[in-house]
Amino acid sequence: MSRLNDHFRGAARVLGFVALVLGVGAVFALIEPRFLSHASLSGIARHMAANGLAALGLTFVVIVRKFDLSIAGIAAFAAMSMGALIAAGLPLWAAIMGGLALGAVLGAISGIAISYFELPDIVTTIAVGSICGGLAFLYTGGRSIFQNFFQSGITDLNDARLLGLGVSLWILLAVYAAAWFVMSRTRTGMAFYATGENPVAAHFSGIATRRFVALAYVLCALCTVLAVLLILAESGNAETNKGANLMMPAYAGVFLGAAVMGGTSVVATFGGILLITMLLDGFALMGVPYYYSDGVVSLILLGGVIAFSDSLREWITGLGLLRPRAARKSENRA
Amino acid sequence: MTMTYIDKTTRPGGTLRRRMARLTTDLWLPAAVVVLTLAVASVRPQILDAGNIAAMLKSFSVMAVMVLGLTWVIAAGKIDVSFMQVAALANMICAWSLAQGWGWGAAIGAALAAGLVVGVVNGLLVSAMRLPALIVTISTAGICASIAAALGKGTVIRIEAPGPLAPLLDPVLGGAVPPVVVPVLLIAALAWVVQERLAMGRYIYAMAQNEAAVRSVGVPVVGLGVLLFALSGVSAAAAGVLLAEHLASGQPMIGGPYLINGLTVVLLGGMMVRVGKPNILGTLTATLFIGVLFSGTALLGLPDYQRQIIQGALLLIGLAVATLAARHHGTGGHRDGA
Amino acid sequence: MATPVLTASDVSKRFGPVQALRGVDFHVGPGEVHALLGINGAGKSTFIKILSGIIQKDGGTLTVAGREVHFRTPEDAIRAGIATVQQHPELVADMSGLDNIFLGRETAGRGLFARIDRAALEARAEALLARFAVPLDLRQEVGQMSAVEREAVAILQALAVDGIRVLILDEPTSTLTEVEREDLFALMNQLKTRGISIIYITHQLEEVFAIADSFSVFRAGTCVARMSVAEARESRVSLAELMLGEAVGDVFPPKAGAPAGEALLELEGLGRPHEFTDISLQARRGEILGIFGLVGSGCDELSKTIFGALPAARGTIRVHGREVALRSPRAALDAGIFLVPGDRRSEGLALSRPALFNVPLANLRRASGGFWALRRGRLRRDAQELTRQVALHPPSLTTPASGFSGGNQQKIVLAKGLYSEADIYIFVEPTVGVDIGARAKIYAQMRALARTAAVVVISSDCDEVHGVADRTVALHKGRLVAPGARGFSRDDLLMAGIMGEVAA
Repeated sequence: MSRLNDHFRGAARVLGFVALVLGVGAVFALIEPRFLSHASLSGIARHMAANGLAALGLTFVVIVRKFDLSIAGIAAFAAMSMGALIAAGLPLWAAIMGGLALGAVLGAISGIAISYFELPDIVTTIAVGSICGGLAFLYTGGRSIFQNFFQSGITDLNDARLLGLGVSLWILLAVYAAAWFVMSRTRTGMAFYATGENPVAAHFSGIATRRFVALAYVLCALCTVLAVLLILAESGNAETNKGANLMMPAYAGVFLGAAVMGGTSVVATFGGILLITMLLDGFALMGVPYYYSDGVVSLILLGGVIAFSDSLREWITGLGLLRPRAARKSENRA
Repeated sequence: MTMTYIDKTTRPGGTLRRRMARLTTDLWLPAAVVVLTLAVASVRPQILDAGNIAAMLKSFSVMAVMVLGLTWVIAAGKIDVSFMQVAALANMICAWSLAQGWGWGAAIGAALAAGLVVGVVNGLLVSAMRLPALIVTISTAGICASIAAALGKGTVIRIEAPGPLAPLLDPVLGGAVPPVVVPVLLIAALAWVVQERLAMGRYIYAMAQNEAAVRSVGVPVVGLGVLLFALSGVSAAAAGVLLAEHLASGQPMIGGPYLINGLTVVLLGGMMVRVGKPNILGTLTATLFIGVLFSGTALLGLPDYQRQIIQGALLLIGLAVATLAARHHGTGGHRDGA
Repeated sequence: MATPVLTASDVSKRFGPVQALRGVDFHVGPGEVHALLGINGAGKSTFIKILSGIIQKDGGTLTVAGREVHFRTPEDAIRAGIATVQQHPELVADMSGLDNIFLGRETAGRGLFARIDRAALEARAEALLARFAVPLDLRQEVGQMSAVEREAVAILQALAVDGIRVLILDEPTSTLTEVEREDLFALMNQLKTRGISIIYITHQLEEVFAIADSFSVFRAGTCVARMSVAEARESRVSLAELMLGEAVGDVFPPKAGAPAGEALLELEGLGRPHEFTDISLQARRGEILGIFGLVGSGCDELSKTIFGALPAARGTIRVHGREVALRSPRAALDAGIFLVPGDRRSEGLALSRPALFNVPLANLRRASGGFWALRRGRLRRDAQELTRQVALHPPSLTTPASGFSGGNQQKIVLAKGLYSEADIYIFVEPTVGVDIGARAKIYAQMRALARTAAVVVISSDCDEVHGVADRTVALHKGRLVAPGARGFSRDDLLMAGIMGEVAA
């Protein structure tokens, strides 16, 4: 019976999320009918692909209860590196492999420093991000790279379609499906979650917790590289500020999704990033200036985290039942 | 059988070795400042020109004011990544208010009030609602940055008339010392007294260690948390006001680079005096160090991005040394494995 | 009889649908050491929380020194003279004992901006120690102190307020060695002579006779008995029966009938510098081996070394007769060793996750098939079967582990061990924080396990080791003390563990 109850509660949360997405979509469609146009929807799909990949990477890190603030720096460095490889005449696949390899190394540096050497996560990733941000200038001193971009075929990642949907959306769906399978349906996923919940207990259960923390950072960096690759494909050139706008939506997507769905997961992040991308594109369509976008995302993130926080729930139930707070807490413990 | 409890004859630091160790932790960073200055001066003597010293002291003052509050937030085991955007917001509010024809007094008041509001909101969300500090301050940072940009519709606002703070930035003593360092050092000295002599300083460090212990003896932990974030907001806003005067403009994008600079000085400073614990004196010294480093690399002709790499590496190395030192001291020995 | 310092009459408390306390009558006299007994859920923690102002009663009256009091906050209780030392006192590890004692009370004003006068603090500490002579170096950082010293700091912290008449100690001995326990009792006796009453919560029934003057027994939310220890001795009343409300048999299951089988785990000359040296012993299929050692004797380190969580500096470990190198818990689990850790909350469980998540953690290979995919149906069936086997109550696979009592949390760890299909089980302090009812069930499980596996029980509770094990040894300051041919009696075992000597 309790099992049925759990399923019901999970389904209710998903339905709630779907309702929220439809509601937001309806409001935008009413204010600005162009929101439902083909161009607008495919734009949302494209932006969601890039945002969604970065958010997915962050999801792994948040599941092992850490933070990563190097997303923007790694994105910039990877963007310029892949750009330089393409400009040097390497085939596209080689450039992508080069970018992914670079991402893996950068993620491993943060991951190993944080897991094996126990450096504090926030400041370590800020430092790594800053170094990467500087290294991005190494190739051209900061000038844009565009040579060979058209010939390399990278723009196909943005323009080509498969079964009526953009290739970038297929990439997103494929990566999410794989991530969902690994995190929710395999023992590897359980090990990730166990590492986040209680690293000592996980270690005593024979789980190589440090390896999973390091792996989370590597996966985050790899996803970041894929995300910035799609941005390069859309713009057709590489600049040092590509990826500067990946971090905030990623945080908002992960934490908004977790707040609504009651826990960090691949599905929650997918919902969160869908909502965030719709809001961002919707506001852009309504002519809201670009510099509001970070503020809007931040506001939504803060609002979501507050609305679904334990303390607010306690406070509301406290109003309802007129019971002192301490009493309820001790009851929960008993 | 009872023992002696508080033996007044053997104070900590009694032996010579201990005293030497103490001296090393106290003085390595000031020594590094001197060594770095001399090293740069041997190649580029211009670093000791009156004009250059004045420039270094000006940016020292701005930086120090910006991170004074942040120092205690980090010392209390929390994080605030909104301080640089609060400074940018205060900077823009100042310029925008002047453009609206308000006086300097009102402009400065509005800027500081904005810093106070953001700080109190951060503090309430983190301490009273127990939300994760990084998520809260990353969001308020984004909101502040957006408002700052919106005030100038995405561009810079120029300030026509110099304000009442202008004389503070005008170097005296042979053109080497801007008077602003005097109030900055006075405020820092006051903060040092609060940190070292008053109950509050003690609670800040105890909070980082064991917040429940501090709460259980009846210290208003929530109030203290709000106060610390509020101080961080106000001190960042004050730096924004100084920047408005210094740059004679409101710059919406000025915050960005200060994030890593601010964290670097607080954490680097945390490796001196009280090892592993951010403190006011350490922050000031580290700010001086970073100032000399920036000036030196600029004089040596290194581009910005190389400086950024050096600084990131410095932060990383500092972190590694501090973490390894903490482990070596075995502070984790008797505590529950965290 | 003197007028009571503290009385409670007809106190009641309800949490939603649950009546936690009903009609509790209680009193404690001046200078009286009064033990508070009851199984988990009997209502004693709720009652203590009311006395210390953490929660408020729904009905009834409290009086202190004859005057009625109403506590809205912990500060109210302290002002009325009732101080509480929590089970795990919260102290700041890198501050000195002195600074911890006066934390938050450095000055009369108690503001954030009050100036701290070190000399005055030291004078106050001297005065405090003049009243209660505690052998303690208050300059030492609390993080460097032993468990009993920390407890003493917490007690002094509670007494640092003027006018404290009643001190509530919540399970102060649960982390103490027997020697330290004596030190604590000495301190309690001293407080008593100063006229301070002590309300003392414990699960260790023999302590009641050792230190208390009187006791109250809580059961199902009410106080079912109050008597003096002298009366109890005379009438030979069973405290366990009073607590459970029914006759209890022996808490320990019968010993193994058949002789033990082959040696599954053999240690030879195992050692780690400063922790333990030259440990050689065998654990056999079909028996429970008991190792008694005080806190700090090296027991904890020994268990973690056998489990691969600490590297052995010297010596060899053989499992099934084959030498193994245990470099990690993973290697130990692969060799068939499972550790039920002493601190189950921090080392054994993902507390916010249900049994369904926790049970398979130590053997994820069994839970998964091709592509590492979880076989969810089978996993659920297995988890259901195992939680039924260990009698988890309530039998829910989806309730977070934090929602269970200490005993039932231990049962989840046990189910996790069963799922791991080990044949060598090491239990460290298996019943700390477990009430007497659940304790018997856990011992029975250990006995059942020992039918097919080797079980090692490592504990600082001598009665537990002697009661449940077929064969016992002691660990004293890192050295093994083995008995003669006839094995240890209970008293010999205690002697061996405390003094490191084998009785002639």
